[in-house]
Amino acid sequence: MPSSIAITRVACLWAVLFSLFIMPAAYAAPEEPAGELMIHSYDPETGKRIIPNERCLTCHGDEKEKTDVRDDGSKVKIFVHRKEIEASVHGKLRCNDCHSTIDRVPHRKAPEVIVGCIDCHKETLEKRKKEPDGKTERLKIVNEQVGNYMQSIHAQPSKLDQSRTNATCYDCHEAHNVGELGSIQRDEKRLKNPEVCGRCHEKQLKAYRTSDHGKAVLEKADSKSAVCSDCHTTHAIDAPETDKAKRAITKNCGDCHKDAQRTYFASYHGQVHRLGYTNTAKCHDCHGSHEIKGPKDPTSEIHANNRLENCKNCHKDANENFLTFWPHGDANDSEKYPGLWTFKIFMQTLIFGVMAFFWVHVLLWLYREVKDRMEGKGFIEDLDKPDVVYFRRFPLVWRWIHGLFAIATMTLILTGTTLLFSHTGWAKAVVAFLGGTEMEGIIHRTAAVIWLTIFLTHLAIAVRNIWRNRSSFEWFGSTSMLPNMKDMRDLRDMFKWFLGRGPRPEFSQWTYWQKFDYWAPFWGATVIGTSGLLLFAPEATAIFLPGWMFNIATLVHAEEALLAAIFLNSVHFFNVHFRPERFPMSTTIFTGVIPIEEFKHDHRIEYERLVASGELEKHLVRRPSRRADLAASFITTVLIMTGLALLTLVLIGLMTSPN
Amino acid sequence: MGVDDMKSNEIMNKVIRNLILAALALGPAAVLAAPSGQALSFTCAGCHGTDGSSVGPSMPAIAGMDPGVFIDAMKAYREDQRNPTIMNRMAKAYTDEQFKEMAWFFAGQRLRSMPQKHDAALAARGADLHKKHCEKCHEKGGRPGDAGTLAGQWMPYLEYTLGDFLDGKREWPRKMKRKVDAAVAEEGKNALPALIHYYGSQHQ
Amino acid sequence: MTDINRRAFIRAAGGVAALGATLGFPSLALGSARRVVVVGGGVGGSTVAKYLRKLDPTLAVTLIETKPSYTTCFMSNEVLGGERTLESITFGYDGLRRHGVDVVMDTAVGIDPVKKTVQTASGKGFDYDACVVSPGIDFKWGAIAGYNAEIAANSVPHAWNAGPQTLLLRRQIEAMPEGGRVIIVAPPDPFKCPPGPYERASQIALYCKHHKPRAKIIILDAKDAFSKQGLFIEGWTKLYGYGTDNSMIQWVGGSGGGKVESLDAAKLSIQAEIEEFKGDVVNIIPPQKAGAIAFAADLAEGDWCPVNKRTFESKRHKDIYVLGDASSAAKMPKSAYAANSQAKVAAAAIVSRFHGLEPGDPTFVNTCYSVVGEDFGISVAAVYSHDAATNSIEPIPNSGGISPAKASPEIRKREVSYAHSWFKNVINDMLE
Repeated sequence: MPSSIAITRVACLWAVLFSLFIMPAAYAAPEEPAGELMIHSYDPETGKRIIPNERCLTCHGDEKEKTDVRDDGSKVKIFVHRKEIEASVHGKLRCNDCHSTIDRVPHRKAPEVIVGCIDCHKETLEKRKKEPDGKTERLKIVNEQVGNYMQSIHAQPSKLDQSRTNATCYDCHEAHNVGELGSIQRDEKRLKNPEVCGRCHEKQLKAYRTSDHGKAVLEKADSKSAVCSDCHTTHAIDAPETDKAKRAITKNCGDCHKDAQRTYFASYHGQVHRLGYTNTAKCHDCHGSHEIKGPKDPTSEIHANNRLENCKNCHKDANENFLTFWPHGDANDSEKYPGLWTFKIFMQTLIFGVMAFFWVHVLLWLYREVKDRMEGKGFIEDLDKPDVVYFRRFPLVWRWIHGLFAIATMTLILTGTTLLFSHTGWAKAVVAFLGGTEMEGIIHRTAAVIWLTIFLTHLAIAVRNIWRNRSSFEWFGSTSMLPNMKDMRDLRDMFKWFLGRGPRPEFSQWTYWQKFDYWAPFWGATVIGTSGLLLFAPEATAIFLPGWMFNIATLVHAEEALLAAIFLNSVHFFNVHFRPERFPMSTTIFTGVIPIEEFKHDHRIEYERLVASGELEKHLVRRPSRRADLAASFITTVLIMTGLALLTLVLIGLMTSPN
Repeated sequence: MGVDDMKSNEIMNKVIRNLILAALALGPAAVLAAPSGQALSFTCAGCHGTDGSSVGPSMPAIAGMDPGVFIDAMKAYREDQRNPTIMNRMAKAYTDEQFKEMAWFFAGQRLRSMPQKHDAALAARGADLHKKHCEKCHEKGGRPGDAGTLAGQWMPYLEYTLGDFLDGKREWPRKMKRKVDAAVAEEGKNALPALIHYYGSQHQ
Repeated sequence: MTDINRRAFIRAAGGVAALGATLGFPSLALGSARRVVVVGGGVGGSTVAKYLRKLDPTLAVTLIETKPSYTTCFMSNEVLGGERTLESITFGYDGLRRHGVDVVMDTAVGIDPVKKTVQTASGKGFDYDACVVSPGIDFKWGAIAGYNAEIAANSVPHAWNAGPQTLLLRRQIEAMPEGGRVIIVAPPDPFKCPPGPYERASQIALYCKHHKPRAKIIILDAKDAFSKQGLFIEGWTKLYGYGTDNSMIQWVGGSGGGKVESLDAAKLSIQAEIEEFKGDVVNIIPPQKAGAIAFAADLAEGDWCPVNKRTFESKRHKDIYVLGDASSAAKMPKSAYAANSQAKVAAAAIVSRFHGLEPGDPTFVNTCYSVVGEDFGISVAAVYSHDAATNSIEPIPNSGGISPAKASPEIRKREVSYAHSWFKNVINDMLE
């Protein structure tokens, strides 16, 4: 502002009054157009020249002279399409609102084209917030995108020239033709997107042209097919080497290819990816990125002839059998994947059946014991006669084996379900805590080996025991683990008892539920162990098995593990620890002993047999020491709590599962 | 209200403010301000006419002059550029700020130019040449604007100035030489007189 | 005419011209219009009258001037050179009247600073709120023995106020025989138009070059140096053989005996300090002092009127302003441009005072062209600021000065045309 004007304003109060008085008249009856005097082409506040767009368009809007010659003699395009800019979202701004360095027309020196979009949009939003209107929301999005851009690779300094960024707003947005939502410019902009990106990313554009996406967009003007920004996002663009970009791109593929993404996430590749790790195959690892084509095109990366190469990028020793793997195998699709579907149905029926049966068993048992208790019946501890005599039930080796077995199983559950429930936050946290999916794989395999070793060790001991007692071993004797008809009757009588239609049956050394707990792992070990071994080293497996075995192995491994995890941590816990007679826990498996009264209650037949045969004395021991008792309680508590925690996580995973 | 409405409203407000401030600058009160643009500019009148509307054929009219052009000229004179006779000596007396003050003053004046003797046919030719080669920068027939004042400017002064450009005594503004060359190529030696007569033929 | 601009603006701003007249100038509310009486219709007086009305059209401005038209001293040397007529440098006051200045043909004879009245020869009194006195110069008769106003009017003109004596001198030169001698006696400092005597010699030489090529022009000067001396000599050398035996112009400075003691008007003979000079035409420019009214109104101290250099208000009497040649305005010369510049400062100061405000910082310019001969113009220019500490007017350092020596012929030629354009503009600025 001219200082004389400023001073005048301060000095001459009357003049201010004059201006106040006269201004209403100025509104009312303007006789002569303003702007007649040169001073009116200046902004009195800033003292800056007001350059009407018309003035700029005199030269820049001249269709006959779309280029000019620079001082150095080179040609420069100067044309701005008048109608385009007027119809654009910025149509009512002044040219030098954006071209802020232009203060003189004609340009006294070669003008620098410096345009700063960011501050203006920020400031305009700030102003707008006070008086929001229909455009404010859109402006907020613009500002969000500005924020995304600022974090993007494009906003980084160029490695070739640090004075500029890799790309800036008007490298992509056609500066004079930014359309509003729904405008024709925007439709065109989408179709032009590949060309715009391709100005810098030439190689990628070339590849894209050959792709199905590219042909649809560039040749058929099909704006529904993918353009660059659909995969790379518009503003939050990262270098494709970064994990963030890889995740974003994979996610963005799924925006259109929803089924492919769903089935991908059901695969090991997808599970790991969904946990946030990018070391397994992602969409573009198999399908290629810019040159993406259908499987029938012989140049396609997923064409049968080319696919193995993709596998070999990660699985160096992959053989032909890899080709029969179903990367998008869908167990829900009975037509395309009947085998997979059958396995799924079988496994789910199994889970459902087992769980339904035992949960009913659990609930009825609970009902009965609670009811009895309320009626003063059942097994009630006599406090005046604390047990001093205990019955030895488990030798040391079984106690150790059970403890290690429990720990290994829980470790397997934890590490395995993170993949199964990779969509959950807890899974991501657990994997991060464990040190990533690779470390998790190592832990899982280690636990599996331990588990199997224990299982086999137990088998060996059991076989040895039987062998040693082969002369006297009673296969269906009172201490035998083998199921027999009495177990069936006991089961029937238990249900009768549950329903109040009979007395509680009396059991021998092993009840039927204990036998089930014992024998179930044989099934589990077979199913989980076999499938686990197949998955243990895929390249090795593929030497003798077709690729789709991985699909089936993955499915049954997961389903069976799920069954085990739920069964152990609910039914087994109830039977052993939580039923009212035992609540809160039984420590027998760690102390190896059971109070004689309790033994008498639960295993009366055996007790009476031992009394009758006079063998009872042999099995009686003193009450365990207080320390041993506490240690056993502690260990049991930890394991129970861990098991319940795992059960919770599994249930969370099941309930939030997107499939 | 859209961004654009807001902008245009802002512009309207600025115009109103502009009017108020210009009124203050021009009104009697402006005399009273300390070494004001007006006081400085009044001293120019002896040579450039009252409020810059010169009646002397060799003295350029500076009323209604673009402030940027004014300041450029004064600074150039201060640097002894533009083949000066006396303006270089005068310009050395002023600060940039004072140039600006004077620039605002003259920007607030309306140019009153005098009728000049001219050859109508030549002027018509000049009008043609102007439209083809000069109008983009010297818009509206060379009326006072951001590229200076040509229309209604004194012909002898225009002759001096063009002479200085041609003799290399004054630096051509960007691209101007190209345009003048084109006009001369089209019209021959009559080109510049035609233009001068065209500008001289306009007065208001 | 100048007011059109302003009113046009107010129309643009406010729409109603009438509003501008009432609202723009609230001093009206204080009562009747303020009155300013301007004594003298020369550059200072005319300019101040015009600018007072321009700055505040509510003022009642009266200009009192003896003569109905004004003949400029500047450019009157070109009348002597035959380049223009006296009519071409004579102007009426209709322009000022159009500005609403009341121009009264009368002669101010006294000012009562207490009653604030200007008395005129016709016996009228003009009351003022502010009075501007711009009477120009008067001559100190008696400084040169044998020279007086009567002789000046009849045979030995000073021609230092343009008018009949200019024509007399012109006729004498025309009548002078070929090979005749013109003597110009230059006055001692300070005097009106410092380069004037030397431009006069140049213009007479220009005439003689074409009509009486053997004529001689001798300048007798009490001073040892004069304004734009180097440039004049450069021009004289180029145009009139200065420095050769055939030089048309001869300058006798103070140390060379140029000081004049007496005149024998009958013989047209001048007794200078060392020798006697006899001429065919003698032009004596006597030493000068402020115009008569300055003394009648008790505004002078010595020969000139002391003023407050911020406002040009008299140091002797409040509300009376003295402009132009009569004022003691060192370091500004006594020139038309200086008077014009001072008049605007005074006008602004007067309007400020009427509005109860401190006057703004003044700024002054002087520009003075001399036409030495055909296509040979030279100039001196200065921009001055007011030094509040010493209340003096000081040229701004490293600015202004004279035309460069050895400038190109094109530049010298342009300065002639600038001189003529300057003339038109300064006349326009004071009278139109």
